[in-house]
Amino acid sequence: MAIKTKKILVPLDGSKNSLRGLDMAIHLARQSQGTITALAVKTVPGIYAIHPLGFLDFNSMKEIKKLLADAKLRAAKKGIQLTGKAIAGDPGYDIARFANNSKNRIDMVVVGARGRSSAKEIFLGSVSNYVLHKSKKPVLVVK
Amino acid sequence: MTANNFKKILVPLDGSTYSEKALKRACELVEAFDSKLLLLYVVEKSIPINLLDRKEYLEILRKFGNKTLQKANVVASQKNISSKLLLKEGNIVNEIEKVAKKEKCDLIIVGSKGLGSVTRLLLGSISNKISQSSSCSVLIVK
Repeated sequence: MAIKTKKILVPLDGSKNSLRGLDMAIHLARQSQGTITALAVKTVPGIYAIHPLGFLDFNSMKEIKKLLADAKLRAAKKGIQLTGKAIAGDPGYDIARFANNSKNRIDMVVVGARGRSSAKEIFLGSVSNYVLHKSKKPVLVVK
Repeated sequence: MTANNFKKILVPLDGSTYSEKALKRACELVEAFDSKLLLLYVVEKSIPINLLDRKEYLEILRKFGNKTLQKANVVASQKNISSKLLLKEGNIVNEIEKVAKKEKCDLIIVGSKGLGSVTRLLLGSISNKISQSSSCSVLIVK
């Protein structure tokens, strides 16, 4: 039985590493004629996540929109369809939840080895590590 | 962007169902990217074993390793993929990394869990260590 990677999830945070992940995802999608779903998570401190006004931080929402638009352009240049999605919440948890949600039908998650946080860390970033452990879908870590 | 990113794919095996899954996924990628397949089994030497039985025990492990590799080779050749078989001895993670570096692999594909039952719920210890410290990309097959 062949396993096809039709839908690839790429979490983006604007770092160089996540862009490398995006490039790899584009490369993979070209091989299997798949589509990419880009997910940008705006970090919200726990308490505000429940609060309705927590979402209303327009400034950083703009930043995320720009990030997704850039990603779309990058994918379109290579002829790949990319759908952007912006969520507010805790990055690791929400990425894993999005990947596991059967409605989204994600076949593979591609993450950069490190993101914005813990820049000094030599090893895997905390969010990548969290997604790696919690996602029920295959995860590709791009170094 | 280069035309082919995955020239060499390394698949460490341990004989579990998860590593078989990883192999299946690897075959698919090999077909898509026209890359080379490397199969690796590491006989673990670092665990303290009873000194008297040590030789015998390693012999059994070696036999099991060869069997696993042959089995994997059959699976791969059924899909018309030629693979290179490697049998190493030593610390599992170290050996995998050494091979990845020596053979200049572009991708390591591992199952999310191995034969250990303690970490059934979470990622296996070996997969975790590989993903943390390897210098090339890692695909964790669930």
